[in-house]
Amino acid sequence: MRLQNNRQKPWVGSSIVFIFLKFAYNRIELLILKRFEPYLFLLPSIIILFVFLFIPLIWNIYISLHDVSILTIIKEWNFVGLKNFYNIFSDSNFYNSVKVTLVFVCGSVLLQFGIGLVISLLLNQQVRASGLFRTLFIIPWTVSTVITGFSFKFLFDDSFGIINYGIEKLGLESIGWFSDPNLAIWIVIVANTWYGAPFTILFLTAGLLSINPTIYEAAIIDGATKFRRFFYITLPLLKSFILTNLILVTVWTINFFDLQLIMTNGGPLSSTTTMSLYMYKQAFEFGYFSEGAAVGILLIIMNIAVAFVYLKLFDVRNKNT
Amino acid sequence: MAKLKILITVYFAILSLFFISQMNLIPIIAQEEITLTAIFAEPKERWDMLLENATKILNDRHPDKTIKIDYRVLPYSDTRTQILTAMAGKTPIDLVSLDQIWLGEFAEAGFLSDLTANTQKWNKSSDWYVQNWEGGLYNNQVKGIWAWTDVRALWYWKDLLNQADINPNELENWSGYISASKKLKQFLQNDGIQGMHLVGAAHSPDMWYPYLWMLGGEILEQRDGHPTKQNYWYPTYNSDLGVKALQFLKDQVDAGIKPQINHYWGQEFADKKFAVMLEGSWLLGQFDKNEWNTLEEKIGMIPMFPVPTTTSSNTTTSTLMGGWILSIPETSHNKELSWELLTIILEPNVLIPMLLQQGYLPTQKSIGEGQYSAKLKSTIPYYEELVSLISLGKGRPNIPEYPIVAEHIRNAIEQVYNGVDPKQALDEASKQSSKALGW
Repeated sequence: MRLQNNRQKPWVGSSIVFIFLKFAYNRIELLILKRFEPYLFLLPSIIILFVFLFIPLIWNIYISLHDVSILTIIKEWNFVGLKNFYNIFSDSNFYNSVKVTLVFVCGSVLLQFGIGLVISLLLNQQVRASGLFRTLFIIPWTVSTVITGFSFKFLFDDSFGIINYGIEKLGLESIGWFSDPNLAIWIVIVANTWYGAPFTILFLTAGLLSINPTIYEAAIIDGATKFRRFFYITLPLLKSFILTNLILVTVWTINFFDLQLIMTNGGPLSSTTTMSLYMYKQAFEFGYFSEGAAVGILLIIMNIAVAFVYLKLFDVRNKNT
Repeated sequence: MAKLKILITVYFAILSLFFISQMNLIPIIAQEEITLTAIFAEPKERWDMLLENATKILNDRHPDKTIKIDYRVLPYSDTRTQILTAMAGKTPIDLVSLDQIWLGEFAEAGFLSDLTANTQKWNKSSDWYVQNWEGGLYNNQVKGIWAWTDVRALWYWKDLLNQADINPNELENWSGYISASKKLKQFLQNDGIQGMHLVGAAHSPDMWYPYLWMLGGEILEQRDGHPTKQNYWYPTYNSDLGVKALQFLKDQVDAGIKPQINHYWGQEFADKKFAVMLEGSWLLGQFDKNEWNTLEEKIGMIPMFPVPTTTSSNTTTSTLMGGWILSIPETSHNKELSWELLTIILEPNVLIPMLLQQGYLPTQKSIGEGQYSAKLKSTIPYYEELVSLISLGKGRPNIPEYPIVAEHIRNAIEQVYNGVDPKQALDEASKQSSKALGW
């Protein structure tokens, strides 16, 4: 009996331990997994954000605080504090690039938004083949910026462009589109508008389609004119779409540099060198990587400031209305 | 819970795929296979021709190995950045083509292998034109071999000059060049053809240097008293000679010649959009090869840049010499084999067919004027005249700061095109260059 008891004890003991562990494991598994389940589902996006956004951002800040150039890139990087920012702020070309960026962004955003809004309003009318027109207007946005850049470069070429050819055929003097520092930026803006306006068209068309038509019907019964319907129904109901569109288009335009690079390479006389192109040139043309990184950080700050201003502006208007 | 298990399984699957993708299986599959990687600049055809022959020869010399060349050919504007990024990331590359002006910055950064010992064993440096051999040196070390070159010369359409009653000799000096441009402008204004071509594109400094050099000026010169390097390069391009050289460009603009912002590397001349163009010898490559044997009847070439005096004998002309240097990066894992490939590419039997096809000029005397030159002389129009320019040609400084100095000069030229006084523009540019050079 004693022997039997002795034999049974480990089995009973281990069974109890097993049941306890199993119970504890299930409880813990349930508790932990239940608690962390939402985070696990978020994990892929967090990893992507971390790898592709935060690490490059931190790396960029690190480079901007060190002396990294083509000559030192595989050597030791000395910590230089804010010297790169000082160098940038003491370079007159940087201030010129800020000025050019303001013109480029204001011109592009105003034209893209204005043209985009008008076309999306027209497309929203119940007209024949509006679907076909909608598709046609979207095409420029599907074309690569490189092709857009080269197309406009050839169109406006000072000597061989079709625009100047037409002007000369009319008996007028050809225009130096790309050699006149006051004109070149506007040609880049036109090209950017051609490329970017379809996004606004697409975005605002989606917004217009989301407005309930019965609101307009009620307004028409009440005798509201087209003008009043636009300002008192369409615009207020499109507000969130307009805000998002403006933020996206402005941020994209600030960061945009492909067109300037292809069409003018920043010239003539740096009249088309925006901050983003200035950053690219510093880093990859002249090999001053840390100064390029410093401009990159200034661009990020600029982007955040722009988004903040838009949000505040619309927030104030929301409160007023 | 089921969703969670699927999620965890997907995580593990992604992780496994990632690790598998990182495993280098190639050495297990083919131990005797060696792949040399290379980055070159466009046009691709020249590299296809060179490497097809060179790979065959290299494999014949090493029957125990299968050697492949994995080469990427990039547009000129991307090549520097791509090579730079690859080297900064320590990507193993075995061979690169470098524009002569990039050598300094790549060498200074420690990206290029020292080929001095290899070249001493090879013992062929004496066959190179002195300027071309020295173009591959940096701090007395051989960092690359200048494979072929190009020179800029004055090209014109014979019929257009004839019709405008212009003697081509008029183009040889500054005043004649300006007066001929006025005549051509008047004569051609209704034909959609422009008289003289003036570069307004990014490489505009390249077309100004010859005027500076022929007057005796220099872009940079070495001076003592540098704050950190004791003796270093100092910008001298804003001297009186520089101002005089730039004034000639201003005179051209004042005479109604429009600086061309876009550049098509001689295609605009071949398309007869311009009657006269100062352009590199690669311009010949823009014409159909079948036209080459009759090209000299249609196209004239004066092997010079216009000189300031009325008789060209008083001032020796000058020209800018460009071209491509072949270098072996420090990151190469197959330096010996890469060197062998490089030397095979430079062998006349491999190089000459490509030179014939593309119309480039050799950097080796034996190909330029010696035993291998006969075929080139009979095929490439104006070959001998173009080769004669090599001795008058100069290269741009191959120092690390050259790209930014060139940008300053480009800005100065652009300012002058837009009405700024040459002296003022050059002085401003020089200040910026001094700062960039550490003065």
